[in-house]
Amino acid sequence: MVRVTIDGQEVLAPKGQGLVETAASVGIEIPVFCYEPRLGPPVGACRMCLCEVEGLPKLQAACTLTATDGLVLRTARTSEQAAGGQSAILEFILLNHPLDCPDCDKGGECPLQDLTFRFGPGSTRMQFPKRTFDKPIPISPLIALDRERCILCYRCTRFSESVSEDGQLVAANRGAQSIIATFEDEPYRAHFSGNVLELCPVGALTSTTYRFRARPWEIQNVPTVCGLCPVGCNVWATTREGKVARILSRNHPEVHEGWLCDKGRFAYDHLRAEDRLRTPLVRVRRRGFEEASHEAALDAAEAGLRAAGSSVVVAFSGGETVEQATALARIVREGLGSDAALLPDDWDAALDAFRAPLSAIRDADVCLILGDDPVVERAPVVDLWLRAARRAEAEVIAVNPAGDVQAAPGSAAQVCADLREGKKVPTELRETAKSLKSAKRVALVWSEDDPTGGRHVGALANELHENGRAEVAVYVLPRTPNGRGVATAWYTVGEGRSDPPGEGEIGALVVSGDEAASDPRVADLAARASFVLTTAMFQSELTAWSHVVLPGTSYLEREGTYVNLEGRPQRLRRAVVPFGPDELEWLAQLAERFGVAIDPWAAPTAAEQADLPPADEFAWSRPDPQAPPGKPAGPGLELVRIGALFSGAAVERIPQLQFQRPAAEVELAHEDASTRGIAPGEAVVVTSNGTSRELRAGLNRKLRVGVVRIPAEHAKDFGDRVQVSRLSTGESR
Amino acid sequence: MSPQPFDSLKGFAVTFRQMFKKPITQQYPEYKRPVYPRFRGRHRLWRHENGLEKCVGCSLCAAACPADCIRVVAAENTPGNRVSPGERYARIYEINLSRCIFCGYCELACPFDAITLEAEFEISEYSRDDLIYTKDMLLAEPVKRMPVADRDLYDTPTPVWKAES
Ligand code: SF4
Ligand code: SF4
Ligand code: SF4
Ligand code: FES
Repeated sequence: MVRVTIDGQEVLAPKGQGLVETAASVGIEIPVFCYEPRLGPPVGACRMCLCEVEGLPKLQAACTLTATDGLVLRTARTSEQAAGGQSAILEFILLNHPLDCPDCDKGGECPLQDLTFRFGPGSTRMQFPKRTFDKPIPISPLIALDRERCILCYRCTRFSESVSEDGQLVAANRGAQSIIATFEDEPYRAHFSGNVLELCPVGALTSTTYRFRARPWEIQNVPTVCGLCPVGCNVWATTREGKVARILSRNHPEVHEGWLCDKGRFAYDHLRAEDRLRTPLVRVRRRGFEEASHEAALDAAEAGLRAAGSSVVVAFSGGETVEQATALARIVREGLGSDAALLPDDWDAALDAFRAPLSAIRDADVCLILGDDPVVERAPVVDLWLRAARRAEAEVIAVNPAGDVQAAPGSAAQVCADLREGKKVPTELRETAKSLKSAKRVALVWSEDDPTGGRHVGALANELHENGRAEVAVYVLPRTPNGRGVATAWYTVGEGRSDPPGEGEIGALVVSGDEAASDPRVADLAARASFVLTTAMFQSELTAWSHVVLPGTSYLEREGTYVNLEGRPQRLRRAVVPFGPDELEWLAQLAERFGVAIDPWAAPTAAEQADLPPADEFAWSRPDPQAPPGKPAGPGLELVRIGALFSGAAVERIPQLQFQRPAAEVELAHEDASTRGIAPGEAVVVTSNGTSRELRAGLNRKLRVGVVRIPAEHAKDFGDRVQVSRLSTGESR
Repeated sequence: MSPQPFDSLKGFAVTFRQMFKKPITQQYPEYKRPVYPRFRGRHRLWRHENGLEKCVGCSLCAAACPADCIRVVAAENTPGNRVSPGERYARIYEINLSRCIFCGYCELACPFDAITLEAEFEISEYSRDDLIYTKDMLLAEPVKRMPVADRDLYDTPTPVWKAES
C-alpha cells in the first residue's frame, strides 16, 4: 500500500493502481475518454484527464500514472491549472466535432456531451469551417461510422487489436486527417464487432439496428441474461414502447467482462419476425393446420397425450428455463408416467468439483482445449478469455483437427485417456503432457457434444488434481444455452431416472422449442410418433409433422432461471410481454388437466448479478471412463461439421446479420488440396452419401491431412466421409 | 376602526359606475378577439423554404414536455426519401392535445425552431381520439371551423388592435 494525496485527501492505495481508480475510490472523478482498463495499458490519446502533479511543471495525463508513495495530485476540483487544461482540451476536441447532437444517436447518453457540460467551456471560438467527411459510412451491415464525430480516442481500434484480436479496425492517415477505417474498406466481419459500439465515447460508431429507434429518455433498460449461447452474458435489454430496441452488455466481471458477441447483441429482432407463430395450430384431418383457440388447442393436446398412455417421449431444446423444464418433466413423469427424454446436453454432476468462474481461464498457466468444435462458434466469449490467457503468457493448446496439436476428428476422449495414462503418450501429445505436468493452474475446455456429460475430461482433471496437485478448472461447453439447467431439472424431478427414446412406435412426442424442432434426431422420432405436440416460435420442417403446435416465446419474453456453462444460475427477466401465454403458462394449464399442480409464475431465484456457487467437495469416485473406439477409416476425406455461431432460427431472421453467416466453403488441408490440384477460392464439388454440392475451397494450413471442415448448414445430408474434386473446367465455364 | 367598510363602499362604487356605461359584448364566434403575440395555442410544425421539414425527430420536445404528450418515432432519411435536412426525420410525430397544458416548453426545447405554439385556440372535438394531432395535421394550416364575420378585420396576420395602435 502506498499513500497518495488527491485534492488534499490522503488515500491508501495498492502500489501500481491507476490514478483514475484511486481517485474514484474516494469519490473524486477524473474525467476520461480513452482510458478503459479492459483494453489493456492506457494510451493517453485524448488528454481529457489532465491533472496537476506536484513537482512536475506541466499538467499530466492522470490515466497513464499509477499510485506511487507520496504522489500529490490535484484534479480540476482544486487546481485552476487542471480545470483550465481540461476545458482547453474539450474546446480542442470540439473544434472539428459537428455538434449534430439532435441527429446523433448518442445524444443524451454521450460522455462527450456530459463532460463538456461539466468541464468544458460554455462557448466556442472556432469560426472556421469544420473538417467534413462523408457520413454515415457503413463499415459493416451492423455498424455505421461517422468520422466527423470521432474524437480519435482509439478505443475501437484497441479493442479490435488487443481484445478480439481480429485487427480489422485501424487508424489511417495522420494528424487532423486521421480516420478510423477497416482494412481496404472491407466490411468489419468479426464475431465481436458490436462491442465497439459501446466503447465509442461519442456517436461515431452507431448500430444500424438501433439507429434512430429511441432516445435515452424514452427507454427502459431491463437487466437480463442473453439466452443464445451457454456463456450466459449479462445484458440490458433496452425496450421502447413494448419492443426490444437493442441489447447492451451489463458487465459481469467473472462471466464476460462486459463483452458480447454479435449474435447476442443483434439477434433480438427475431421477436418481431413476420413469420412468427402467434396462434395455436391444430391439425384437422384432410384440411391441414387450422388456427385454434387456446382452449381448443389444449383440448387437442390433452386428447393426443391421453391416447398415447405412457408411451411418451419429450425432446428438450436446451433453451427452456429451469422452471419450464421442471414443469415439463413433471407433466411427463408424474402426469403421464413416462421417463423417456431426449436431452440436448448431458451433464455429469461430479464435474462440479472443478467448477470455476470463466475469469479463471485468464489466470491459468495452461489452457487445454479439446474437441472438434471451434470454441468461438460454441461459446464465443470463452474464446476472448482464452485470448486474454494467451496475452497473459499462458500456454493455450488446442487439440483438434485444426489446432496446435492436430488430432484426428472425434478423438478428444482418446486424447484425454492418453494424457491421463501419462506413460505411453503419443509423440504429438508429449509436449502437451509435459506442460500439463508442470502447470500449477490448468483450465480444461471441452468443446464438442459429449453424451457422457464430460466424464472424460473430468477423469483427466481428477488425475491432474490428484497427482499433479494442480488447481484445475473444467469447462464443458454445452451446445445449448441452458442445456445444463435442463438436464439437471430433468434428473432432479425423476430422481436420476431417464430412459432413452427407444425403438419402434411412439405414442406421443412432445417437442419443446425451436432448437429441438430443428434437430434431425427429433425428426427421426417424429416419424415414428402417432401424436406430436410442438412448442415453437417459427414454422420448421418438424411443425409439418406435428398435430398440435403451440406458439413459443423467446428468452427476452420469459421470467426464469438459466444455468450457464460454469453452473451459475442466473435470472432471466421478461423484457417485453409476449402476445400470448408463455410456455410456463401453457404447461401449467396442460398440467392441470393431468392432475399436476404447476405455478405459472416463475419465482425470482437469483440476484441481478449471480454469484457462482462454490465448487463442490471433491468427491470424484467414478470408475475411469473408457475412451470410445475411433471411427473406422474409409475412402475419401473425413468430414468435420462446424456448428456455426451465426446460424439458427433467430439469426436467419435478421437481415443485417446475414453477412456473418458461414460461407458455403469447404476447408481443406494444404496437402489434400494440392494432390487434387485445387487452388484456394476455387469452386469444388463435394460428394457424400449420394448428395453432391458445389462449395468454394478454402485452404487451412493448420488442418490435419485427410480432414475437411464444412459449416453444418452446408453439410446437410452428408455422411461422415466426403469426396472432394475440382469442378471440371467445362462445367465451370 | 378597520378601513373595511370604506373599502367595500369604494368597490361598490366601481360596480355602480359600470351600470351607466355601454356594455362590451364580444360576438363570439362571429367576432374573434385577437390574441396577444406570445399567446400559446395549438402547435404548428414548420418547413424550410425548400420544403423539407425543420423537425429532425430528435425527441427533445418530448423530453421537455411536462405532460408527456408528445410521441416522436424517428427514421433515417434516404436519398430516395428525404424528409428533413439532417440524417434523421420524424416518421411519426404526435401531440395529444387533450393532455397538453400549453406551457410552450416544447417550443423552447426545439433546437431547430421546428415547433411553435400559434394563435389557434378552437380545438374542441367530440372525441378524445380526434385530439391526437398527427404530423400532417400539425404541418398544415389549422382548419378554421368557426365562421368569422369579418375576415379582413379579425383573421389577418396583423390583427386589428395592432394595426390601429
Ligand atoms: S470511432 Fe469512437 S471509439 Fe473509435 S476512435 Fe473515434 S471516438 Fe474513439
Ligand atoms: S405545450 Fe407543454 S404540455 Fe403542450 S406539448 Fe408542448 S411541452 Fe407538452
Ligand atoms: S420538434 Fe424540434 S425538438 Fe421536437 S423532435 Fe422535432 S426537431 Fe426535435
Ligand atoms: S483518458 Fe487520459 S488521455 Fe484519454
